[in-house]
Amino acid sequence: MKSASTLSSAFLQSAGQALPEPLLALRANRASALTDLLLPTRKTENWKYSAKHLKLTDEMASSLPLNASAGAEADIQGYTVVLVNGVVRPEASNYPALEGLSIQRFSDLNGDDAELAADLLGKSISDQPAKHGSINLSLLNAARFEDGLLIQLQPGTVLNQPLLVIHHTSASHSGSAFPCILVAAGSNSQLTLVEDYVSSGESPVMVNTATEFSLGDGANITSVRLNTEGQNVQHMGTTGVRQQRNSRFASHSVGFGGTLRRHDLHVRLEGEGAECKLNGVVVTQGTQHYDNHTTIEHIAAHCNSEESYRNIAADKSHAIFNGRIHIHQDAQKSNANMSNKNLLLTNGAEIDTKPELEIYADDVKCAHGATIGQLDNESIFYLVSRGLSPRDAKVLLTMAFINELVAQIPVEQVRDTANTGLNQFFDQAFQEV
Amino acid sequence: MLSIKNLHASVEGKQILKGINLEIKAGEVHAIMGPNGSGKSTLSQVLAGNETFEVTEGDVTLNGDNLLELPTEARAREGVFLAFQYPVEIPGVSNLQFLRTAVNAMRKHQGKDDMNAAEFMKLAKEVSKQVDLDPAFLKRGVNEGFSGGEKKRNEIMQALLLQPKLAILDETDSGLDIDALKVVSDGVNALRAPDRAILMITHYQRLLDHIVPDYVHVLVDGKIIKSGGRELALELEAKGYGWLGVKDNTTASH
Ligand SMILES: Nc1ncnc2c1ncn2[C@@H]1O[C@H](COP(=O)(O)OP(=O)(O)OP(=O)(O)O)[C@@H](O)[C@H]1O
Ligand SMILES: [Mg+2]
Repeated sequence: MKSASTLSSAFLQSAGQALPEPLLALRANRASALTDLLLPTRKTENWKYSAKHLKLTDEMASSLPLNASAGAEADIQGYTVVLVNGVVRPEASNYPALEGLSIQRFSDLNGDDAELAADLLGKSISDQPAKHGSINLSLLNAARFEDGLLIQLQPGTVLNQPLLVIHHTSASHSGSAFPCILVAAGSNSQLTLVEDYVSSGESPVMVNTATEFSLGDGANITSVRLNTEGQNVQHMGTTGVRQQRNSRFASHSVGFGGTLRRHDLHVRLEGEGAECKLNGVVVTQGTQHYDNHTTIEHIAAHCNSEESYRNIAADKSHAIFNGRIHIHQDAQKSNANMSNKNLLLTNGAEIDTKPELEIYADDVKCAHGATIGQLDNESIFYLVSRGLSPRDAKVLLTMAFINELVAQIPVEQVRDTANTGLNQFFDQAFQEV
Repeated sequence: MLSIKNLHASVEGKQILKGINLEIKAGEVHAIMGPNGSGKSTLSQVLAGNETFEVTEGDVTLNGDNLLELPTEARAREGVFLAFQYPVEIPGVSNLQFLRTAVNAMRKHQGKDDMNAAEFMKLAKEVSKQVDLDPAFLKRGVNEGFSGGEKKRNEIMQALLLQPKLAILDETDSGLDIDALKVVSDGVNALRAPDRAILMITHYQRLLDHIVPDYVHVLVDGKIIKSGGRELALELEAKGYGWLGVKDNTTASH
């Protein structure tokens, strides 16, 4: 298990044979741009805290089987699309034939739809592999995807229940997967998209995801992201969002730590009056890791952004939050609010938080705050003095730290899954002695 | 019920309690008075099991059991209840959820079934009315944004819910207006029972007009220097602590 040092040696080119011509061309372009790009090290600015968790081996370079079956997700209710190892499984999926909504897999695209997908792909994410000492591994996805989903909403189309996308990684042996989702939301359309990242099998694998949203004027899109993959999965995910006039985007992410967990969320407020709200909850324990990088670009005037991320780190785990707000010169009357609160459950845990503000307009409101604290002993004593076990007291206090954000997740099924995961986390983190 | 023998306790190396002796029998109400900083709250915190304070000498038993070797939650389940002088605010933890968890921890210890949400809500509404707290307070965070008086009423409400054997009330009367004092006193009197002991810490004799104690003790510099009946409180009110040979740097009444 030799470890790789350059991207081209780490990731073999494979087929993508089922893809339509415009996507194949784009894929080849991206792949050549990545040739000889070095893998990040701790000296790489945006991988400073995470490079040591990135442990890629030659075995992970090849794609995971493209025909693996979905397994036991049968009893899922509602509109569902299942991807296994980045490939859509129509037989396991169930989504509506609704006027104004089209859900197509990449390999079925042709004509204008194929052009649209190629046009959208990578547009909301920086297309430079390396810049200012940073390395953009999200580009790997565009160089390696085998399939993907194009979701199109015609103007005014409203989906009245969430669309659930299950990204299943089947890790029966080592390899990598590159799931990709594109959402083109026409003006005044509405959709809640839930992405649930799960895995089966125990072999070391890498999952590199890309999800891109393009919101037309007045579109209202909610993105929910849940990660409960196994500890054998190294996960690097990217979500890119472009927002036109008066559109609204809300993101709710719940992440459980792993060997490598990284999510980059990049929102571009391109039209006046656009608003985004980004919530994130992360819990880590053992020697787990989780790294959230967010960027909000205020490009047009009169846009609002509201961001709240909370991390809880137990044992010897490590959680990272890097929040960048970039207010462009023309983005007058911008209103940006960023908060990151962190809870260290042990002295051995580590949390790094870094706000980055770049403000080039003069008439803006921009507030940010970051705190790192521990559970309050006085509060624990108060609760325990009423007969609660120390564990229950700590669970109540820890839940209180994130409950506000969990409660805002607009999909009950996701809240339930999140709470189940949180309870398992508490069972481990607060073992009774 | 409660027996305290030669209790010494320190905090950060500083000796606060310097040999407390106190016997409280079931059904009795004892009041402790004393100047600021004399160790009254320290005594109450030590009895409840706050590990900030180190017991350096002495014994405490509750109905014959060694209290000092029990962790805080076990003391609570055995019936020790402390109404805090300064109840802590815990934003985000709902009062209702906290209280139900507490009541069910107690019931489990007593071999009873859990109370479900509806049963508990009914009970909680009753006791909140008993201390004149709007049941809407149940839905708020624990003590979150409560006024001083509301916090004290919340403490008594918890005592009524948990039905302790030994209720220690640390200045539950301070900061209360006249009506609230009446409400809280009625709550405490409702707790009086032949199988329950109450230890109240107060600076004000006026509380003792409402809750008439069986004994009054004066705690000065970590020791009980005088004990007596109800009339001792009146004497303290009239004369301050000076006549006991104590430098009177505080006033017993406003
Ligand atoms: N956590 C602590 N750390 C340091 N000193 C403390 C601590 N808690 C109490 N003390 C000290 O112990 C002494 C006794 O405090 P205590 O709170 O028991 O007094 P008290 O009799 O309740 O006073 P009051 O009437 O003002 O409530 C004081 O000098 C106080 O400063
Ligand atoms: Mg005190």
